[in-house]
Amino acid sequence: MDGVAPLGINSVGIIGAGVMGAGIAAQAANAGAKVLLVDVASEGSASRNAIAEAARTRLAKSEPAALMHPGFLSRIATGNIEDDLGRLAECDWIIEAVVEKAEVKRAIYRRLEPVLRPGVAVSSNTSTVPLAALTEGLPERFRRAFLITHFFNPPRYMRLLEVVAGPDSDPETVARVSAFADRALGKSVIQCKDTPGFIANRIGTFWLHAALIEAVRRGIGVEAADAVLGRPAGVPKTGVFGLLDLIGLDLLPHVLTSLRAALPADDALLGLGPAPELVGRLIAAGATGRKGTGGFYRLKDGAKEVIDLATGDYALARRPVPPAAKAARRGGLRALLAHSSHEGRFAFAVLSATLAYAAKVMPDIAADAEAVDRAMRLGYGWKQGPFEMIDALGAGWLAERLRAEGRTVPPALADGRPFYRTDAGRLSVLDRNGAYRAVERPPGVLLLADVKRAGPPLAANRSASLWDLGDGVACLEFHSKMNALDPWSLAMANRAVRMLPAKGFKGLVVHNDGANFSVGANIALLRVAAALRLWPAIGWLLRRGQTVFSRLKLAPFPVVGAPSGLALGGGCEVLLHCDALVVHAETYIGLVETAVGIVPSWGGCAALLAQLATAPERQGGPMPPVIKAFEAIATAKVSKSAEEARDLGFLRFSDSIVMNRDRVLAEAKARVLAMAKGYAPSPPVKLALPGPSGEAALELAVRDYARKGVASPHDVTVAGELAHVLTGGSSADVIVPVDEKTVRDLERAAVLRLARTPQTRARVAHMLKTGKPLRN
Amino acid sequence: MDSRYAVIVGYARSPFTPAHRGALAGVRPDQLAAEVVRSLIARTAVSPADIEDLILGCAFPEGEQGLNLGRLVALQAELPPAVAGATVNRFCGSSMQAMHMAAGAIALGAGDVFVCAGVESMSRVPMGGFNPLPHPGFYKRAPEAYISMGETAENVARAYSLDRAAQEAFAFDSQQKAADARASGRLADEIVPIAAASGTVTEDGCLRPETTLASLAALRPAFDAKGTVTAGTSSPLTDGAAAVLVTSEEYARHHSLTPLARIRSVAVSGCRPEVMGIGPVGASKKALARAGIAVGDLDLVELNEAFASQALANIRDLGLDPARINLDGGAIALGHPLGATGARITGKAAQLLKRTGGRFALATQCIGGGQGIATVLEAL
Repeated sequence: MDGVAPLGINSVGIIGAGVMGAGIAAQAANAGAKVLLVDVASEGSASRNAIAEAARTRLAKSEPAALMHPGFLSRIATGNIEDDLGRLAECDWIIEAVVEKAEVKRAIYRRLEPVLRPGVAVSSNTSTVPLAALTEGLPERFRRAFLITHFFNPPRYMRLLEVVAGPDSDPETVARVSAFADRALGKSVIQCKDTPGFIANRIGTFWLHAALIEAVRRGIGVEAADAVLGRPAGVPKTGVFGLLDLIGLDLLPHVLTSLRAALPADDALLGLGPAPELVGRLIAAGATGRKGTGGFYRLKDGAKEVIDLATGDYALARRPVPPAAKAARRGGLRALLAHSSHEGRFAFAVLSATLAYAAKVMPDIAADAEAVDRAMRLGYGWKQGPFEMIDALGAGWLAERLRAEGRTVPPALADGRPFYRTDAGRLSVLDRNGAYRAVERPPGVLLLADVKRAGPPLAANRSASLWDLGDGVACLEFHSKMNALDPWSLAMANRAVRMLPAKGFKGLVVHNDGANFSVGANIALLRVAAALRLWPAIGWLLRRGQTVFSRLKLAPFPVVGAPSGLALGGGCEVLLHCDALVVHAETYIGLVETAVGIVPSWGGCAALLAQLATAPERQGGPMPPVIKAFEAIATAKVSKSAEEARDLGFLRFSDSIVMNRDRVLAEAKARVLAMAKGYAPSPPVKLALPGPSGEAALELAVRDYARKGVASPHDVTVAGELAHVLTGGSSADVIVPVDEKTVRDLERAAVLRLARTPQTRARVAHMLKTGKPLRN
Repeated sequence: MDSRYAVIVGYARSPFTPAHRGALAGVRPDQLAAEVVRSLIARTAVSPADIEDLILGCAFPEGEQGLNLGRLVALQAELPPAVAGATVNRFCGSSMQAMHMAAGAIALGAGDVFVCAGVESMSRVPMGGFNPLPHPGFYKRAPEAYISMGETAENVARAYSLDRAAQEAFAFDSQQKAADARASGRLADEIVPIAAASGTVTEDGCLRPETTLASLAALRPAFDAKGTVTAGTSSPLTDGAAAVLVTSEEYARHHSLTPLARIRSVAVSGCRPEVMGIGPVGASKKALARAGIAVGDLDLVELNEAFASQALANIRDLGLDPARINLDGGAIALGHPLGATGARITGKAAQLLKRTGGRFALATQCIGGGQGIATVLEAL
């Protein structure tokens, strides 16, 4: 993304080239800013910028990638704080991300202060030091420019940004930084109060610490604890102990110490007591988690081992599934917390304490329950925030259980009212004064969840729905499991094409708020049909997909795809048939059909070819688009960002990339409206395909890959079929351009041949069973 | 001696840098070649007005290497409009072929001064070109006509029973010789600094002086999972240009130019495409016979190192003395910009004759599709 200028921040200086500083630098580069990354000067090394340079080099290789495109590294310059104060002073926003020591940070601020230009923002990425302590003794001029911007690790992928403004912070500066963080960095900005740990770490630390203490006290195994507190509670499967290993065991005591020092004496976190003695022993032994020699879990000789909390000895991991976790699969969170087993009581103890704590502290730390929930979803990856969990359990039920155990019920829970309710189709939330208030979305933010709350769909079936976004724009939502596409998804797309013009709609957005846009066609259908040798059924499904997607493309109204997350196979094919795309920056696109032994056959080969053939920057001659499509499809390449998808040819240069996921739908809707006036479907593309000559060239390349051992025997077969499709088949001739239909016919014929091979059927079965490709 | 012999009066080249990641990846090939030609003219102080033709070798003359690149390079090098320009393609033998054409024209009395250049940007025009379109029927009958170079290297290794260790020892020597040559400044004379976006490029970029036998042994086969040829025993994809000034002996004498060597004889010959690496054997035998000398008369040899396996097979078949081969390192270390290599090794051989005081030199290379090309040089 370029053109951050309207937000008033074009350049970002970052002081501190550690994990967080470098990660923030990368995200600022992803946003299109000019970045200067500095650390202390290295004496006695070849370069005085050695520390920042090393961090920059590490960024290029980081996994998961910190940069959305390798080329963005050139946006990051390096320096050192001794020599480059002048260069830092030229930046529009300076972020300090050094060690969590107030005096060290203040020393940096004192050096910055004299060179600060008016209007420049300075922020600290602290997670534990209060703003008041940071600005102590600094002049008002500096305090006006200053705020806290607390990023979560890794800064590219964690969507939460906690912003803390002090009493002297210039509101205009805070607004400018917040707007840049929202639009350019793609963060969901939560304005926090200057309270210890702000929101997410205050609740999150309590939760981790409570789980650790309860597990030790109740003799719950590490694996059992994670098995109940992970997925069943709507928390990433790392659960508690896996998460502690990931962030580093040494971080917890550090955060606890600073929180204890800052929190009031009656805070429940203090009441939990100190960290179990085992933690100290592990840290002392260097077992600080994944970055150390292991932690609660470790890998030994390739095998996963887990610690016994009582003895400190490791034993092979057994991956138990406690009955409480099984109960949660059917009965949800309440079944988990109500489960009478040892693990069920443990889960109740940890979560009820955490939820009660959240309810107790919410008025002090946040504007309302929604801010707390959002912070925990986006900062800790929880599916639901604490108040959404309370509503799911029933506030009355939870209060009753707490009372039954003789525990204090926080005032916010006492009357059993839900934290959220829908008033006239709009979401309201309890604010800290105990009143329901409509949840306001910032301008330019449109959430499908809000649209769905406002009224019934225009149409719906088991896999997809059509919604009215207002202003004459509809939304096609997929909502099957993992948004896999099936005949019902196709039926709804088809219905949209027929219904929308009649109802006066101007256009359609294809979007959903699932974690992934779509993982592709439901291949279970393929497996069943192939097993029963129902070849005509497969043929029908392929033709049906092609027909529906073609209709989307030829519809008399604009269709804008607005994906986020994975858009694979059929999910990618839908996008290739849209008239324009507005893509979340974190979208991972690919035609991965070869992984299950087939080729894209809902028009994906034809549409990608057409897109590549008409790309203004393409090389001349018939082969470049064919080669590019072949490489992307044959290797089932999935882009690691929207930017990379552009390189692969899945996006056109006129398609836009939106950094903030919450802004994708509104932007897509605006694109529909912009295109709607005088809209005419784009004319069909004529493809000059090379035919057998090109097929021979691709066959040569595949042969070389096979010899190299990169392509398996069935890869060669599938790639051969793909080459046949992409080059236009046996009768194609470069001087006789063909239409996309010719290629679509070849797609279907190829899949029908491949579906009959035992190797393709083995691939499909293996993918359905394991979720991983079979290389046969 | 017949005064219609051709002599090599000067030789220059750009730095050779690895394709895609090297410092010259961003430089257009026409510009790269023009810079080298311009510098060659300045260094030799030949009168540009006397140049008959600029003959330029290029293996994939399309895209930025397309149109008539020879003519465009002559114009970009600001040679007088009367200087003609032609592009010649014999794949890796292209710029040596350019020299053969110049020598032939001189013998025919069809000109006295020729710029024989070669260029390849393997970053900007891929090997195989943008539009590989083999004849489908012919490909079915004779797939070896389109065989990949790596596969031919494996075929030669198998046919000559050349194991990995032998190939790696050869590659290691090439790296050592090139590193020594660079360290002692023996490469500096021939290199023309080239302006690139990142600054002026003055050094070769492909060399890996840190190479050890152990690091070579650790590489995985590059072309055949069960094979013996690795990236370490193959020449790298390279960007670079080279140029040689070829004049009649008479012209050189009358214009007080100092020739490096005489082109005594030349030859080309074909071989089976699937073992294209042995192409130099047939071509060298013909050229030596035409010069009336034997292998034992050669003081030095520039044998292009497309692959270690192929170079070793040539050494064995021709009975070459390894101590006289590629004194300043070969293409495995220096790089192999296809169209430019012929001018580099022939210019280098002429320079080395002068430096070592030897009498006869052979420059020879293998060519994709199954050919060899060879030039015998003689000291004056």
